[in-house]
Amino acid sequence: MSWLPGITTPLAAWLFALLVPLVVFYFLKLRRPRMEIPSLALWRSVIEDQRVNSPFQKFKRNLLLLLQMACLCLLVLAAMQPFVRGGAEQATYLPILIDNSASMAATDAEGRSRLDVAKDEVRDIIDNLLSDQRLTLISVSDSAQRMTEFTDNRRVLLDALDAIQVADVPSRPEEGLQLAQALARTFEISTVRFYSDGNLPTRPDGAGKPMAVVDFDLPFDLQFHKLDEPAANIGITAFNARKSGQDRWDVFVRIEGSTAGQTAAQVELSANGEPVGSPESVVLEAGQSQRLVFRYDSADAASLTVRLQPDGTDSLAADNLAHLELPISRPLSVYCPSELVSYRHSLEVLSDIELSPGSDAESGGDPGVVTPGLGAMYDLVISDQAHDRNLEASTSFITGLVPEDVQSLMTVEEGLAEVIDWQRDNRLLQHVQFADMDITEMPTLADGVEEAEFEQLGYEILAHGNTGPLILQRREGPNLSFHLLFHTDRSTLPYRVGFPVLISNLVALAREQANLSDVRGAPTGVLPSMVLKPEREYRVTGPNESSATQSSNAEGVLKGIAAREVGTYAIREGSQIVQQIGASLLDATETSLHGVDEIHFRELTIDATTEAATTDRPLWPWLAFAAFGVLLGEWWLYLRRPGGVPA
Amino acid sequence: MPETTTQFTSLLPNDVLARVERMRLNPLRRKTNHSRGEHLSGKGGTSTEFADYRDYSPGDDVRYVDWNIFARINHPYLKLYKHEEEMHVVLLVDASRSMQFEGKFELARQLAAAFGVMGLFNVERVSAYSCSEQSADPLILPPCTGRSSLRRLLTFLEELPGGGEFPIEAAIEEALKRHRGRGAVVLLSDFLTLGDMTRSFNLLHSAGLEIFALQILSPTELDPELTGDLRFVDSETNQTLDVSSVGELLGLYHEHREALSNHLAALCRKRQGRFLTVSSEEDVKSVLFDRLLRRGWVR
Repeated sequence: MSWLPGITTPLAAWLFALLVPLVVFYFLKLRRPRMEIPSLALWRSVIEDQRVNSPFQKFKRNLLLLLQMACLCLLVLAAMQPFVRGGAEQATYLPILIDNSASMAATDAEGRSRLDVAKDEVRDIIDNLLSDQRLTLISVSDSAQRMTEFTDNRRVLLDALDAIQVADVPSRPEEGLQLAQALARTFEISTVRFYSDGNLPTRPDGAGKPMAVVDFDLPFDLQFHKLDEPAANIGITAFNARKSGQDRWDVFVRIEGSTAGQTAAQVELSANGEPVGSPESVVLEAGQSQRLVFRYDSADAASLTVRLQPDGTDSLAADNLAHLELPISRPLSVYCPSELVSYRHSLEVLSDIELSPGSDAESGGDPGVVTPGLGAMYDLVISDQAHDRNLEASTSFITGLVPEDVQSLMTVEEGLAEVIDWQRDNRLLQHVQFADMDITEMPTLADGVEEAEFEQLGYEILAHGNTGPLILQRREGPNLSFHLLFHTDRSTLPYRVGFPVLISNLVALAREQANLSDVRGAPTGVLPSMVLKPEREYRVTGPNESSATQSSNAEGVLKGIAAREVGTYAIREGSQIVQQIGASLLDATETSLHGVDEIHFRELTIDATTEAATTDRPLWPWLAFAAFGVLLGEWWLYLRRPGGVPA
Repeated sequence: MPETTTQFTSLLPNDVLARVERMRLNPLRRKTNHSRGEHLSGKGGTSTEFADYRDYSPGDDVRYVDWNIFARINHPYLKLYKHEEEMHVVLLVDASRSMQFEGKFELARQLAAAFGVMGLFNVERVSAYSCSEQSADPLILPPCTGRSSLRRLLTFLEELPGGGEFPIEAAIEEALKRHRGRGAVVLLSDFLTLGDMTRSFNLLHSAGLEIFALQILSPTELDPELTGDLRFVDSETNQTLDVSSVGELLGLYHEHREALSNHLAALCRKRQGRFLTVSSEEDVKSVLFDRLLRRGWVR
């Protein structure tokens, strides 16, 4: 029967044995003071009259004893720690996951953020924590952080709860669930409680509706407490720029509104603090979005900032500001040996390219005085020479050579190979037709080698031949490399229409790699890698004066800088700012504030509940309070003066 | 230098004593002895105070014939005079241990002295009894009259010992065994006894004594301020009584105390007696010259 209160410490019932000495001591009247009076005559008659006339005389005579017994019983019951069973099953070890992603900062009509609402509910659980229960708090955004060990210390838990702040990053519940799963190996965890607004990464289901899918096997019962959806919101979900000509950028800003209602805002773009153009007014119906295009002419590097000034309700402030770092405008530096005539022909017709070696100046791989991006000597290296593989380039395209680490997996045989399949949606191979192409070299997999072994080495197979892979792609840090395992001169590829398309795709990719054509606003989470001086210590200062120290590696790459808040991050060497970079939320899901009602896991679906969890409520404070009241009553009764004493 | 005055007795201040000497007991009934005294009897007598006329009857003493009337109307009439008889004032002082609380016994002796002085100064016979130990005979002041007995009376009262467990009803019976004569009895006690006073008052009434009962109670008995659980110990018998939540019973205690007073008053009233409860913290002047005077006990 669930309405019966539970008992946490049944052994405390032994304390009821204290009733025996209480009664014994009461009747022994050990502390009854003696008082000599002239005569007992009157008091005898009083006592006899009381015994005769009062039907509840025995009760009244022992009322003090009864009150003392009641007080003791209440205290013993309090020591037994009874509790009223809540709807949720009691769990001894209970991890509580609290979503602190950006959307949790969205406020309701009363100005309370959803994180505050979640905190209130968790605070209620902590306040009603039973003596045998242990909680651990885990904040979940794009990563999970365990705020406390399993503890029943209310002060520690409340401090940890207060320490949870909103991070301006998207939500990834897998991280928190994996952490809880790891804890389940050490502790007996049957239930995990997850407080979230349901604003999780989604993908469309069969009917096109957004569906939150979490790739995770639940080893425990998950209670998903969804918080109420807040008021309307408008925010920036994309901020990028594309080079549209010599020293000219088209700046794209996407503004999206939540589904809660109509929203409006003024959009202002500024470069290095100076306004660019006039502010644009945007009025969005529920769930709509609008793309704005600004034109910005500059050959120099610039920091662009787009700011949203909402007209009316706006629940989330983090998505009203976005940053974009524009690089210096320069031509793409490409190295291509003179022997690769077909490549050079295709490159020469493309604009804004500085090709090396030049037709009359360079002849043997001297990089010259180019200023490529990301610290590389070239932006793009196209070569069939083994020694050119050592050239520094953000993008490299090697043909006719098998990478050294792959040589044990395959050989290049003599024979006729053909392309069986290729990734048509890959940026490099878009609109490139490989069908019926003849290749007179036959890259062949070694015996017993699986294609998965290429993936283990970091290669992605873009094109498959009849005997093995033909084209590999590898991303190594900031650098991107393509490897054609056959020489194009030994194929019909240079004579096909797709060849200049392939080169054009390659140049476009190289421009992107060098941030020369398309620049995207850096999202919060982790800042993009930067190439600075090697093996130096840098101090990174965040928007809220948060500070961290990070060292660059031997290549001068500084990476892994956490950016949990929207704003500008300054990288300092000593006191000098060497680079500034802005981080923006730029997440359509977070801006939409849409909360899913169910989460699909691999094997089951968890429905959300919007009602506050009915926790087990301890009764001991009430019992202790009642005992105190009875004690006061007993004391008052003991001391009270008679009424109506004649003068 | 302040003027020092020698007190005649330790019981009463001189000014009280002087005023008491001019007062006299005021009984409701005329219970007097045949011996001559200063209390006028209902019967005709030989005092100088004229009472009435009546027809002469043969055998009457011709000395009381009013010859002036006989001379005018030629018919003998006899002049009648009021008879002054002696009244016996009995003082019964309870000296048991129950009276030894908060000045009860002291007030009893003072009042006894006052009533005794009134008797002696009004040419009445005054005797006194005091009961304390049940095993011993009561202390007795034999009947005495006249101002010359004043010192004896006061000395007797001053030297009265206290203590003992003599109950007041037994003390009355013991006194009546030794007493002769009609008059008034002044009972000075707290009347806190487990026995019945009805028989005692009947005996006093049948002995021709008008009852003047003064119940003297201490402030603690009149208005106790007690709380908690107590073990009461009887001062006379050393018996104990455990009472819980005394504070709760105080209301009932007051009812019983008033009921006892009312019961004693009713017993006295039925026997043409009087009853009054006084507090031991009251001043003897206040009792004598205010309460007793206004109630007509003395005049």
